[in-house]
Amino acid sequence: MLYIHHTSCIYPQKELDQPAGPVDNKLMAAEPGYEGIPGNMLRRMSKSVRMGIGAALPLLKYSPDGILIGTGYGGMEDSVRFLNQIIGYDEGILTPGTFVQSTANAIASQLGLLHHNRGYNITYVSRGLSFESALLDAAMLVREHPGSSWLVGGVDEISDHHYRFECAEGWYKEGVVAGEGAAAFLLNDRPAGALARISKIVLRGGENEEVLKSALTGLLDDYPPDLLLSGENGDSRARNWYRIVESLMAPDTGIMRFKNLCGEYPTASAFALWLACNLPGALSERRHILIYNNYKLTQHSLILLERLL
Amino acid sequence: MSRVFVTGIGIISAVGSTLMENRSALAAGRSGISFAATLSSRYAGVLPCGSIGTSTDEWREQFRIDHPGITRTTLLALHAFSDAIADAGLSDVSLRDPRVALVGATTVGGMCLTDELYRDTTRSCDNSPYLSSYDCASVHLFLQSRYGMTGLGTTINTACSSSANAIQYGARLIRNGLATTVIAGGADSLAKFTINGFHALQILSPKPCRPFDRDRSGLNLGEGAAFLVLEGEEVLAGKEAAGGRAGGKETAGGRAAGRAGGKPIYAELTGYCNTNDAFHPSALSLTGDGPFLAMQGALQSAGLKPADIDFINTHGTATENNDEAEGRAMLRVFGELPPFASTKSYTGHTLGAAGAIEAVYSILSIRHQELYASLNFAEPIEDMGIRPVQVFRQHAVRHVMSNSFGFGGNCTSLIFSNVN
Repeated sequence: MLYIHHTSCIYPQKELDQPAGPVDNKLMAAEPGYEGIPGNMLRRMSKSVRMGIGAALPLLKYSPDGILIGTGYGGMEDSVRFLNQIIGYDEGILTPGTFVQSTANAIASQLGLLHHNRGYNITYVSRGLSFESALLDAAMLVREHPGSSWLVGGVDEISDHHYRFECAEGWYKEGVVAGEGAAAFLLNDRPAGALARISKIVLRGGENEEVLKSALTGLLDDYPPDLLLSGENGDSRARNWYRIVESLMAPDTGIMRFKNLCGEYPTASAFALWLACNLPGALSERRHILIYNNYKLTQHSLILLERLL
Repeated sequence: MSRVFVTGIGIISAVGSTLMENRSALAAGRSGISFAATLSSRYAGVLPCGSIGTSTDEWREQFRIDHPGITRTTLLALHAFSDAIADAGLSDVSLRDPRVALVGATTVGGMCLTDELYRDTTRSCDNSPYLSSYDCASVHLFLQSRYGMTGLGTTINTACSSSANAIQYGARLIRNGLATTVIAGGADSLAKFTINGFHALQILSPKPCRPFDRDRSGLNLGEGAAFLVLEGEEVLAGKEAAGGRAGGKETAGGRAAGRAGGKPIYAELTGYCNTNDAFHPSALSLTGDGPFLAMQGALQSAGLKPADIDFINTHGTATENNDEAEGRAMLRVFGELPPFASTKSYTGHTLGAAGAIEAVYSILSIRHQELYASLNFAEPIEDMGIRPVQVFRQHAVRHVMSNSFGFGGNCTSLIFSNVN
């Protein structure tokens, strides 16, 4: 069984109970000072690398056995920077630094480098299921290696060009707000002192309603959640998926939509998991939480957890 | 935990678009490294590559795809994926089962559309057909949608070890009971983006690469794709039972050793390990710590001793740094090295596809009980004195190790074993 012991998050809000609204349809992360990152490294980092490392760094002191990162579009911004060099200098003599940093595994590998961590190290780039792929990997790792602990993170940034792409494709209509952030978790198989226990992680693809329903039914057999953290973002095309999930909840299950806090981005579910562990005010009474997120209609994830503290 | 078997293979590389063609080239010592006709770059006629002669448009026609956003990387993946599922006899209906997972890997992804991406980022992108094509996930999402797959679909990017990790993740999904069948592998195409990146790093050779040679002068980029169909022993036992061949006292693994539902089983994936070198963003430590730990971990997970390995399909990029680090790490693990070779001297370095392509070559080596030669080797690296296999030959092969190392220090070793 997978237990969350420590969490860390960089996200667009200063106060969760008094959330700030978007500016120009974007919820930009409230970035910290990044004291732990050497200045010469920090200057070369793109925003997603900076946020990813900034969120994960405080958890490295617990010496995880390995590092697992999910990032929907990580590396794209650095890739575009290198691309501009290629075209701008007509494939002439280029500096390799931007190219090396443009690889999506930069966050996980730089964390390994910073902490001399020679253990398992992996990066998932699966759009809306990037973080979930990493989380599921950690669930397998604790089963395979009893007593081990793992750092799992989800990271994405709003970049100018990517925001334009998403607008042009129609993903930011109907009040859908762009977001960004980085969340990191220290996970192991020890119940003592844990913040939460993750009992199920389910990833599904495609647009078959029966597949989602049967995945949900299978997971609700465990125990009925008393709070649904819903990734609904306002896009009417996705509404039906959220209605399906809500229709299978018990009548007294609370529903909390979280994207007004973090905005829409591929690894927003990492923020949702952080939120589930750090619920503000009266919500903290809720024990059994289901997170459902739908990314661009065809990527579905369900995370079922129990709060322990 | 369940044993995991390879029951289907699809591959395309510079030395062939079928499994048979790939094996023939390896057996004949025929390299696919030449000047890329299909790559739009000023380096296309200057730096040799492991390129595939078929143009992107020809593939579109072949697969009846008219959407311009379906990239060369995706078409390579489709080629290998469709061959792999046909080889394993997976029906369209069975692919839609949510217990069937797709684990892809790529580093270039849609970035092969280098010029298109530049246009879209610098001018209006309003009617661009490419916007959802540029990322890595676009490759597996296309396959998932084309085949109506509903289970877990994901993409791994750990640079040049990506598809070795996809195979490892796929096997672990089966062992942990999270999937019954996994199609795992990777794809990457030649791109203006990567050829300029590796050129900037000054690690591209102006000649066909010479893995493990004293005078090696860098790597050749390549393109290709490979997918393996992985199935657990329970699934195979079920298929056998359905086929009316279920034996009395045989174990599932024993039955699997013969055939899966009447089809041959290629090999068993017995060991794997993923580590990080934690030394430098784009170079391995000269003591090869990450590679050493990956090889050692893979042996441990397979329950094998170094002497059990009959052949190592090395990462062997032919860069100054890799071959020295990998060679030293192999010496640390094995003491006396088993026969080893680098098949990148045939295909070039196919980046995110390399781990899967070389997994296929490792399996071919087991299946045909033969060792493939490393091309262009003349003199060993000083102080190390290790020599790769230089002549193709028959050889008893029970266990093969396949190494894949990447930027960011990402190292993975896989071990495939004979089931016959």
